[in-house]
Amino acid sequence: MANEPAQEYIQVTYKKPRPYRWAAGEYLSRLYRECRDNKRLMTVKCQHCNEHVWPPSKVCGRCKKPSGDNWVVVSDKGSVVQFTYTNFPMFDPHVGKYMTEEHPFATIDLDDCEIYWVAKLEEKDKDKLKPGMRVQAVWREEGRGGGLDHDILYFRTIEE
Amino acid sequence: MAERVGIVAVAQTKYQPNRDEVNAGELVWETIEPVMKEAGVRFTNDDGDGDIESIVTCSQDFWDGMTISSMGVMSFTGGHHATEDKIAEDSLNALFAAYAQILSGHFDMVLVSTHTKESMGDRSIIESAAFDPVMMRPLGLDFFIAAALQARRYMDKYGVTAEQFAKVAVKNRGNGMKNPVAQEPMNITVEDVLKSKMLVDPIHQLDTKPISDGSIAMILAREEKAKKLTNKPIWITGVSNCYETHYLGDRDLAECDALVTAARRAYKMAGITLPAKEIDIAEIADEYSYQELLWMEGLGLCGRGEAGRLIDAGVTQIGGKLPVNTSGGMLSGNPNVVAGMARVAESVLQLRGEAGERQVPGASVALAHGTTGACGAHQCVMTLSNK
Repeated sequence: MANEPAQEYIQVTYKKPRPYRWAAGEYLSRLYRECRDNKRLMTVKCQHCNEHVWPPSKVCGRCKKPSGDNWVVVSDKGSVVQFTYTNFPMFDPHVGKYMTEEHPFATIDLDDCEIYWVAKLEEKDKDKLKPGMRVQAVWREEGRGGGLDHDILYFRTIEE
Repeated sequence: MAERVGIVAVAQTKYQPNRDEVNAGELVWETIEPVMKEAGVRFTNDDGDGDIESIVTCSQDFWDGMTISSMGVMSFTGGHHATEDKIAEDSLNALFAAYAQILSGHFDMVLVSTHTKESMGDRSIIESAAFDPVMMRPLGLDFFIAAALQARRYMDKYGVTAEQFAKVAVKNRGNGMKNPVAQEPMNITVEDVLKSKMLVDPIHQLDTKPISDGSIAMILAREEKAKKLTNKPIWITGVSNCYETHYLGDRDLAECDALVTAARRAYKMAGITLPAKEIDIAEIADEYSYQELLWMEGLGLCGRGEAGRLIDAGVTQIGGKLPVNTSGGMLSGNPNVVAGMARVAESVLQLRGEAGERQVPGASVALAHGTTGACGAHQCVMTLSNK
């Protein structure tokens, strides 16, 4: 064994992406249309528990019953609950490439609706990131309708 | 004798492609809501109040395009704060898992839900991913091409003909005309099948199933509970599964040893010694027409190489001695993964006497079969009875 040459280990590589076209379905399509056409967030309030169902769904996961049709507008302002930032590029599955511009991620407690949503922050200065900071969605000028992260660029720090 | 487990409620969607108006969860809800209503049961809440004690879902990550594919449907299957398991094989195995959960003594009632939206992805790319990435996948195989190799070997070894395969397609798509949930029922002739486009020799367009979306839900219960919930419980009397081998070259593709083993075990559980005589109807995975014949032989419903003669003689048509795929089978349109439970759904309807125009009079023992992987790499067999 000692006299044998060093082993060469082979790797088989694939680069072709797997294409999918997922149906957003009845309830998410309504939200995505509202984002694209009216630049606002909407969801249903469950007819049983009266809580906002997020993301909007035909069935309330907590009640395990149909959530109903009581659609309401929810705030695109909120407070940062927790945040993090990456030191490596993140993959953008919409385009199959790594993102060129990095933004911190945060959980945002949207105002008056008990919705906690993970989104990106515009603020990149680590020293300015803190729990409780007030933020508001920045909408893409021309809505695309491909989902929330298509139509909301990030959340911007606001002074109130 | 072990306590029995009964199927107390069944619901299936109409099978159709391109269900763009519903996401996976909404598709699943189309069967969850009716099955809960039929059984008159509720999900269990955080206080422990309710009936469903465990949820078994069945989906396949590559078909759904997400890892942990059950996540997308959990809100719809009552999964919040509940016991949940996912099976990533043909859904007959999900029923097997639920059955075992009840026999284990842990649960009295289990909800089983399966879904696939084949329209969302690319069949060939997804099936290709089932082959190991460093040895077989670079070849560009998918299940379809593998199936064609198997069909050709089956023809060569046992003398089964393309006409006999076509007769299966004619029979099953014709049976589908009597099934309101069938996707692509057709009144066609053998000539129509043989003249349809040759896709992968010897498999024609009409020898294979269409792309399909659909979901099925069932509720299983321990005997005592099952009898309270319905006056028509259908009992699972035998079940088993068995795996072949990954590399196609390790097999004689005209043989199906894993299916022989799975069937033998299931029949033993059920006390069935002469399956061709004791079974009244059989629902057999027929993604490709030749497979109904090959699997019939593996299931011991006839001798090796004899299934072609049975289709010639009309034995397996409705009105024959052993009707096979009265539902219309996968050839009339069932998605992969969902297919096994579709076989059971038809069995339940037949054994309840609720199969409408396609009802086999007096059917009391049914056989349901499902496969996973290329050329029947994994086989599952279940027997059911209304007595």
